Amino acid sequence: MSFLPTLASALSSPPLAKESSTRLVFQMALRDVSVLFRTPWIIITRSLAFVIQLFVFAYLISRLINVPGLNFFQYYAVGSVVATIASISFVIGYDIFEEAEEGVLDYLLTLPISRRQFIIGRALGGALRAIIYIIPMFLVVAVIEGFAQPLSILSALLSLFLLAFGVTGMSITVAVSVKSANRFDVVLALLELAVSRASTALYPIAFMPLYVSVFAPFSPVSFAADSARASLVGFTLDLPAIVGLVAFVVVFLGLGAAFYFRRLEGGIYS
Amino acid sequence: MFANFAIDLFVTAATFGRLVTGQGANYFLFIAPGSNLITAMVAAFQSGRDVWREKYIKDLTSYLLTLPVQRPVLAFSRVLGGVVRSVIATFPGTLVICYLYGILFTPKVFVAYLIVGLFSLGIVGLSMAVSAFSSSIEMWVTIRSVIQLYLSFLSTLFYSVNVFPQLLAPIVSSNPMTWAIQSFRQLSPISFAQVPAGDSLGSILILAGPSLAFAMLGTICYIWYSKL
Repeated sequence: MSFLPTLASALSSPPLAKESSTRLVFQMALRDVSVLFRTPWIIITRSLAFVIQLFVFAYLISRLINVPGLNFFQYYAVGSVVATIASISFVIGYDIFEEAEEGVLDYLLTLPISRRQFIIGRALGGALRAIIYIIPMFLVVAVIEGFAQPLSILSALLSLFLLAFGVTGMSITVAVSVKSANRFDVVLALLELAVSRASTALYPIAFMPLYVSVFAPFSPVSFAADSARASLVGFTLDLPAIVGLVAFVVVFLGLGAAFYFRRLEGGIYS
Repeated sequence: MFANFAIDLFVTAATFGRLVTGQGANYFLFIAPGSNLITAMVAAFQSGRDVWREKYIKDLTSYLLTLPVQRPVLAFSRVLGGVVRSVIATFPGTLVICYLYGILFTPKVFVAYLIVGLFSLGIVGLSMAVSAFSSSIEMWVTIRSVIQLYLSFLSTLFYSVNVFPQLLAPIVSSNPMTWAIQSFRQLSPISFAQVPAGDSLGSILILAGPSLAFAMLGTICYIWYSKL
């Protein structure tokens, strides 16, 4: 595990009281961004998965789908960006779990930064790195599909950021509440699969079996996918989806922070 | 594992089954065995991950050296153990596919398990070989993901080989998943337009080739990297 030199120097030299809390939160966030980008293997893998899903799977399967009014390749292209950002946002949970296992968390707790700033910084870092990571893929889709309206693109990116923020909170919640490594792997993988597959990211709700279509509209990935498509394709704001995303962020960020705080403080809230 | 399989089958495959029409047969049934084979693949890769953890995290090599068993036997038993684990992990899934294919109460159900076992044999061997050359978990996960992408998307799991551009056809035809899923589909009394007619024996024999080769590779790599 390695750290930003700026973080080390910023956190070690000046007294805590003199540091602006926003700056400390951003230092923590930047550390998480840096950690992801120092593990190029993860970036290569997920980028490759995106490329193959889009240019092999979506291209070939869309030739088999003949539904009037549905451009499946375009539908899948936007959805695969949403599914990918959800997937990469889950990685923060693995990082936090590993830190606890390897003892790096103990080191982090000695840094002159308050617990609250530490936790918010981690969540923000998880979301920030996901959005940075996804931008090249988003651009690929935008170029292929001809999405050029700046406001639409900004609105879609906002939806993606909200999703990333909420999923980060969810991932942190799982990472700090499950103790066994195997169980953690299974729970997180299952959660990732469930929120992505039972959503409108990869296929329209009209084609889902009834037992899925009942729940799919409430998946955070559906909120983000619907909102992004409304912005990019329909040039409108899907307000209910955005409200759903904000609610998801508030709930899981709150839960993630509470669980993380409790774990850091040996089960005691303060 | 069963939950993963269930999501793959009853959510993704069921939805694509409704989206893809006009392919001559029920598309859901066409891709259904894929959900089970993907589960088998994930379970088989878990064996390689365990071997990697034993080496780099738990440092169990010296303990393994004390075991009263011949080293090649130990190495091959690790491969076989992975296969058994994978078959157990996919046990209910295989039953579900056999039920969907209407072969649950026929002797073909044993052939279905043979296919899952043979396919798993190759993947366990491959994952153990990957463990030998991966110095970090990130590298291991990356190689695993690349192999999984190849097995899933560059095979006939979702579409027939003639849908691919000609350039990719040899890659698809040499994919073990292609032969595993073809032999599964040939077990079914349903005739899929995209699947060559005939019994599954020929496809199973073709699948056996790479599976045995990968199992051998995994065994050799395990002996080599454990310094047994």
